[in-house]
Amino acid sequence: MSAFVPLVHAGLLVGLALVCLVDRRLARACLAFIGFALMMALAWWHLGAPWLGLAEALFGALFTGLALLHALGTWSREPGPPSHDHFLRRRRQVPIRLLVAVAWAILVAMGVGLLLGTGVVELLAEGRRRPLLPAGLAIMTLGAWAFATHTHLLRRLLAFNLLGSGIFLLLAGLAGARAEVQALILVGLVVAWLGTLLGAVLIRRLHALESRVTLVAEDEPGGGE
Amino acid sequence: MSAWFGLAASPEAFPPAMMAALSLALLAPPLLGVVAMRFPPRHPAPVVAVALPAITLWLLTAVAAHGGHHAPVSLGALDLQLRLDALSALLLLLTQLLMLASAAYAVGHRQAARIPRRAAAWLWPLLGGLTTSLALIWLAADLLTLYAALELMGLCAVAMMLLPGQADALAAGMRYLLFALVGSLAWLLGVALLLGAWGRLDLAGLSATVEPGPVTWIAVALLSAGLLLKAAIFPLHAWLAPVHGSAWPPVSAIHGALVVKASFFILLQLWLLLIPGQVAGAWVLGGLGSAAVLWGGLLAWRARGLKQVVAFSTVGQLGYLLLAFPLLIGTSEAVAALAWQGTWLQLAGHALAKAAMFMAAGNLLLATGHGGLAELAGTSRRLPLALMTFGIAAVTLMGLPPSAGFTAKWLLLQAALLAGQWPWVLVLALGSLLTAAYVFRVFRYTFVEEAPRHDFRQLPVGMDLIALLLALTALGLGLAADWPLAMLRPGGGEP
Repeated sequence: MSAFVPLVHAGLLVGLALVCLVDRRLARACLAFIGFALMMALAWWHLGAPWLGLAEALFGALFTGLALLHALGTWSREPGPPSHDHFLRRRRQVPIRLLVAVAWAILVAMGVGLLLGTGVVELLAEGRRRPLLPAGLAIMTLGAWAFATHTHLLRRLLAFNLLGSGIFLLLAGLAGARAEVQALILVGLVVAWLGTLLGAVLIRRLHALESRVTLVAEDEPGGGE
Repeated sequence: MSAWFGLAASPEAFPPAMMAALSLALLAPPLLGVVAMRFPPRHPAPVVAVALPAITLWLLTAVAAHGGHHAPVSLGALDLQLRLDALSALLLLLTQLLMLASAAYAVGHRQAARIPRRAAAWLWPLLGGLTTSLALIWLAADLLTLYAALELMGLCAVAMMLLPGQADALAAGMRYLLFALVGSLAWLLGVALLLGAWGRLDLAGLSATVEPGPVTWIAVALLSAGLLLKAAIFPLHAWLAPVHGSAWPPVSAIHGALVVKASFFILLQLWLLLIPGQVAGAWVLGGLGSAAVLWGGLLAWRARGLKQVVAFSTVGQLGYLLLAFPLLIGTSEAVAALAWQGTWLQLAGHALAKAAMFMAAGNLLLATGHGGLAELAGTSRRLPLALMTFGIAAVTLMGLPPSAGFTAKWLLLQAALLAGQWPWVLVLALGSLLTAAYVFRVFRYTFVEEAPRHDFRQLPVGMDLIALLLALTALGLGLAADWPLAMLRPGGGEP
């Protein structure tokens, strides 16, 4: 039973991350991210870092969640960006971006594997003992993939946040819940929140000025309708 | 190598006076920024009266006389480390001087460009935050402090770029934000691997314990990828020119002069301390730098707008700095000493000249009301002061005597010849030719006389004078280079 709970926890984390990245309804994706951040807070609590858990709930779930919902125009009278993401693909640069994302994931997996003295296959098997490590790796890879391929700016912000959370999990999995690790994650959380807030304000302004929700103008025949 | 960066094996606490001066240098800028946000200065005089550089000058003389300091700073359960040696004191002085120049310029610029009060007020706390983060980067001696400072710098820089508020500024700023955020995640991953492998974050300790091996190489590769992205090193430079195209000139000046250099400073520090034997990797970085010199020069030569010329010239000039890696790693003591001095002189000379150039370009832009090179027609007679500033700054960039750029490139050239690394000699020569090509292309436009329009706007003379002063400092630094270079002899102070 006790060995089962962390597995379910890790599975929930990965599942919620997937919902964040593939759900076409942006509001639901943002809510999934809030749930994901609360799960992260629970993970820190389990690792013996209750204060970090509190910080994650505050900065990750509450503040970042509010910033993301602000980007959607949830509380605004002016019309916000459209509620659905049409998954407009970029036409150029996709192979290069995917290559970079894949290289990133492989490099990190190699590094983690070498560090623990195991191959990548054994690393996945070791997931039974330390499920947060492979979960972090998976979430990071998902985030990198989504960041490389998606064009909707809100989706890219979500992908960035997930990429960051995956790296936090890796960091804690590799070095334990030491004071330095907690401080690094805390700085990372605050930066991710500020970055998301800045990005959310930008998305609203860009949509208000030019009614666009991506940075690639030529891929947007309908202007984001 | 850790002595080169003023790191001691056993850190001792700072003397109280030094600690007080350092705290002032770190805390005063954001406080002043908040005050200036509430009461925006209407005249450059109160800005120039800020006496922080005097305090730093005192720190510099203290360090030059008694050697550097490397001290632990505890923050709760955390052990952080700061160090103050001649190099970090000089960089701190450079940062404060440039920040004050840019702040004084911003006062005039706000009035001349009629920027709304609310948008302009935000510049001040961001400038303050940027000054503190840069100071922390020069002083920090552990990866945690560096991470926090790097992030503060990135967020302040992005926010400053967004202040104009037009759609193109916002789009360029959004791209910059995404790049900066992902770059810092790559950095964090590298730190995670180092912390997992060696269990510590202080640079001196890491430098003593880290052994070369695949994990170290992967970690440094990730750290470097993040920093190269933030420093706009070829081929990761695509975000730089659009960001500068729409930013305010005082912001561009600080960004091109200091922000991109901070990432280079950290990168060099990490490579020399963590993987001092990685010659092949150093040559790869040198190759990237050479490509940046040539490609950045070509892009600047082809650019249509004046600010784009200056921005692409930053890409090219940053390439020279990367030549430090092959010249410092795996070379003899004599070569390394020459390259060490040349690199820092190039950094300081370029910082002063690039800030002057962005300000001069901003003046030309404001006076003509257009950003295109073709619109410069007729400026040679009407705006001689701004053009002269542009020209003097360009002397440093081209590396003509007696500028700092000449002395720096001369030192790098000597180092390359002494080490027998002839490709860099070629790069230095070609880079100077390309720089001359794009600078004279700008001047060719200004001497066109049959221009139909002649309605130039009058600017406050202070705006031209600040830029001219910076350009002349860059020029004079070449003549007075002995003083800082004597302090930069490896080993920190003692000749």
